[in-house]
Amino acid sequence: MRRSPSRLSVPRLSASRLMLPAAIAAGLAAAALTAPAAFAQETIKVGAPLPLTGALSPEGLKQQRGYDLWAKAVNADGGLKVGDTAYEVEIVYVDYESQTPRAVQSAERLITEDEVNFLFSPFGSGAAKAASSVSERYQIPTIAATASSPSVYDQGYQYLFGTFTPNDTLTTPLTDLVLEADDTIKTIAVYARNDLFPLAIAHEAEAAAKAKGLDVLSFDEYAIGTMDHASALTLMRTRQPDWVFVTGYINDLILIRRQLADLGVAPKVLSMIAGPAYKEFIEAAGPLADNVSSAAWWHPAVAYDGDDIFGTTADYVAAFEAEYGATPDYAEASASAAGAILGMAIEAAGSIDPQEVREALAQMDAVTFYGPVKFGETGQITSLEPPVFQIQDGTTKVVFPEAVKQTDLVIGGIK
Amino acid sequence: MLYAQILVNGLILGGLYACIAVGFSLVWGVLNVINILHGSFVVLGSYVAYFAYVHLGIHPFLSIVLSGALLFALGYVIQAGLINRVIAAPVLTTLVLTFGLELLLNNAVLVAFSADYRAVQLANPMGSQIIGGIVFPMERVMATLLALALTGLLYLMLAKSKIGRSIVAVRMDPEAAALMGVKVKRIYAVTFGVGALMAGAAGSLLSVVFPISPLNSTEFLGIAFVVCVLGGLGSIAGAMVGGLALGVIESFGALLIGPQHGLTIAFSLLILLLIVRPTGIMGRRGYE
Repeated sequence: MRRSPSRLSVPRLSASRLMLPAAIAAGLAAAALTAPAAFAQETIKVGAPLPLTGALSPEGLKQQRGYDLWAKAVNADGGLKVGDTAYEVEIVYVDYESQTPRAVQSAERLITEDEVNFLFSPFGSGAAKAASSVSERYQIPTIAATASSPSVYDQGYQYLFGTFTPNDTLTTPLTDLVLEADDTIKTIAVYARNDLFPLAIAHEAEAAAKAKGLDVLSFDEYAIGTMDHASALTLMRTRQPDWVFVTGYINDLILIRRQLADLGVAPKVLSMIAGPAYKEFIEAAGPLADNVSSAAWWHPAVAYDGDDIFGTTADYVAAFEAEYGATPDYAEASASAAGAILGMAIEAAGSIDPQEVREALAQMDAVTFYGPVKFGETGQITSLEPPVFQIQDGTTKVVFPEAVKQTDLVIGGIK
Repeated sequence: MLYAQILVNGLILGGLYACIAVGFSLVWGVLNVINILHGSFVVLGSYVAYFAYVHLGIHPFLSIVLSGALLFALGYVIQAGLINRVIAAPVLTTLVLTFGLELLLNNAVLVAFSADYRAVQLANPMGSQIIGGIVFPMERVMATLLALALTGLLYLMLAKSKIGRSIVAVRMDPEAAALMGVKVKRIYAVTFGVGALMAGAAGSLLSVVFPISPLNSTEFLGIAFVVCVLGGLGSIAGAMVGGLALGVIESFGALLIGPQHGLTIAFSLLILLLIVRPTGIMGRRGYE
């Protein structure tokens, strides 16, 4: 039996349910005192097809948290101001059950039946690309929060914008930093989880290393669900790489970090993507987390002073923690940023007309809590410099880019 | 030297695998129940070890007593209160029951402890010893040795104690055992409790090796299943041989064909074995 995707919408919020940080609450109070009462209240709808159930549901729920936080912040601030009208934001969610074909149908239904004004793309590069043809056909400005592949953006579409830079923008700066810090590093061993994103990042790391003349001693993959890495790491130890680059998710990386120490594999540099971006990794790996380097599109440790609804990065992190009791990660922040960018474009355009908002997005050159925002010809963000960071004495320190750098990359010290 | 190291890696891993599987094998052998809850029992044992270490400072190798006792009680209650009611039904019925209970238990653990990965950070890590050029990761080695010791104790219990002989008697012929005055349903509950105890103790030992999360339960269950089928159902020796074989095959498979194929090799051999020797390496033998 085919079940139609369930539809959920975020209701406008009663004041009693709002738990906002001091900064936004103060802004709201000030707005209430100073704003002329003349704003007519209307609502704009933003459609968000998300995988809220099924295999991708953890990612879908993260994006939902990011969007919800943006909608709450905007509505608490009295809505988006366009001329004499204040628009409250309503996000219309459709659960596409982690099935890409259904994501495309959901996007179409959101536009034709729910008559949403704008759209957030479904999760990941594949689904975002598939759904982008729909929003292009109906000329609905669409922001993709979790699509990094350039092939999503090179279709010549006018209405698609994305907040992730290509994967190589994570690995290339890391490689440059490592070689600047120590020019005796000549060899690298790559160990990758055989899974979409971890494998793609590992291939980028391999390409970046080769481009810099490093000798890639090995490129090994491990299967999803692997509970023992001793054989692969024993072989790695015999090769004595200067740099070990491992990809996977947090459980893999905790286990691999321990087994590297167990077997006495101690390279000069140990980089891991994507576990060290999370606090859990530092807690679970303990002292072994020290000096592990990593990169992500965003990290709570970066410090930007944004012109958007959230203000500084620290304000955003505080708002997120107050709402959800957890630290935001890059996927959640990117979703909130997608909302914040759309809001800025609508206010800059002074209209909710799709064509005018599209122009405002294309011309945007602003700083947000997430980082600087400027889109390239294809619609993919070009201004963002994803942070490279390193765990030093149990805390995450940003070592790149220069604008938000906290300290230098440390070579050695891998136990 | 490389091969010796891989063999050592495989044997250590295999010991851990055997430890995960032995309780599962006991329950399957004696009760003819495929206990889908087993993986979650292991995970619960790990959580007991984690919290006992973080809050009470009890070393995970000592908290096997605590996790074993708690899991025994849980297992006894589940068997006496629920599974005994359908124990005479076909194996599919008990399978569905334990499957349903697993959904409940695993989600309860998720709600209680979240899916976040945790790990026991020993204040005094044991590090690694290098003997003759071969690295022995001591926490893994100690966990494996303790697992083997526990399995030996289980063997002695079944061979020497009155309750152990009752378990063996029930396994061989429940009706004859009942005629001899054995309270069969009580023995079922004790057996299930002992299976859970072994899972809980394994969980404590594994807490120093693997990250802890409710999401691991399916991996542990999968290992228990393969080890039992590989070694032969319903015997401690079978679980030992199955576990060690899986560990060694996986390690050499990863070395010779690449780490992404280690498990593929192990499972291919499993299928081959099922064709040529369906009773497993050790055949179908009792606990006597």
